[in-house]
Amino acid sequence: MTHGLNVTLQGTPVLTTERLMLRAPEPGDWPDWQAMLASERSLYIGGPLAEEGKAWRSFGHLIGHWVMRGFGMFVLCDKVSGRALGMAGPWRPAGWPEPEIGWNLWTDEAEGKGYALEGAVAARDFAFSTLGWRSCVSYIDPANARSIALAKRLGAILDEGAPTPENKPVMVWRHHGAAA
Amino acid sequence: MTADEAPETFGLEIPTLRTERLVLRAPRQDDFEVFAAFYAGPRSHFVGGPLTRELAWRMLAMEAGHWQLRGFGRWIVEERASGQAVGLVGLFEPEGWPEPELGWDLFDGHEGKGFATEAAEAGRAFAYDVLGWTTLISLVKPKNEASARVATRLGCRRDGEFVHERHGPMRIFRHPAPDALADGGMEAYA
Repeated sequence: MTHGLNVTLQGTPVLTTERLMLRAPEPGDWPDWQAMLASERSLYIGGPLAEEGKAWRSFGHLIGHWVMRGFGMFVLCDKVSGRALGMAGPWRPAGWPEPEIGWNLWTDEAEGKGYALEGAVAARDFAFSTLGWRSCVSYIDPANARSIALAKRLGAILDEGAPTPENKPVMVWRHHGAAA
Repeated sequence: MTADEAPETFGLEIPTLRTERLVLRAPRQDDFEVFAAFYAGPRSHFVGGPLTRELAWRMLAMEAGHWQLRGFGRWIVEERASGQAVGLVGLFEPEGWPEPELGWDLFDGHEGKGFATEAAEAGRAFAYDVLGWTTLISLVKPKNEASARVATRLGCRRDGEFVHERHGPMRIFRHPAPDALADGGMEAYA
């Protein structure tokens, strides 16, 4: 076992909702992230990924997104148990035409309870109020019926002409911030 | 404010190292253009490239995240005189690596000045003196003779081969142990 320094993200925000605590990703989230990416649950976000090395690098860039951009995905934790359920957050890697609000749940058990909605609302409020975003989108695979339903529940509107990341055939659902 | 401007940045406590001509510091967003240019070019073939801009950005973000996940990582190497980012050097151990590696990648136009050796020596000293490691390897792809020469200059010896499932075969160079370096340093291996 090699050892390293204790290097942690400093000062990232923590959001709370009725049932959730939203925080930046931590090394301890890796097993849950890996299990999700190896499963069918990652079908609409580039998976499933059989190779552990690729999954690890993608986890590394989740953390690094906070360093590069000053914001990133929050891990959605059950407020009571602390268990990581999924993630939601403002997202803008290179190649994204616009800032995005993204979300996904990590286990089947976390589905159907409104956690993604609760997390996405909190993440979007954060983007509009704290980051000062005026508009953002969610890029969704046309086959991802659950995410499309959630986008509609969030009040997002399908924007057919909007550009997509790397011109991929994904739907663009647009969120509008409250007029400041 | 646009979405490209961070309201504040969330730094990782990544140590900064200084050598005679170089500073080794944390990766950040404004390194992206030079990083992406290197990964778009043919010299990146030896280190996992070429990569699209999208993938290069994710890779640079991953380099920062590596520090939190492992407690060590790679630094952006800056030339002190010019302030230019000239390379990516440091301790690398993504999932699937055989053991922690000391890597040295120089961005285009900065080869041939001894920067890789100078930065790698600082990275190795950090591994041995600060982290307390007792051994260290470097992986070099076939035909990457410039990198193999740096390994030799650093006193490394060949120690077999590692075959990565995606990157293919790589030569393993093992660095002199800390006590061997203390006993006369690299000259003993020259």
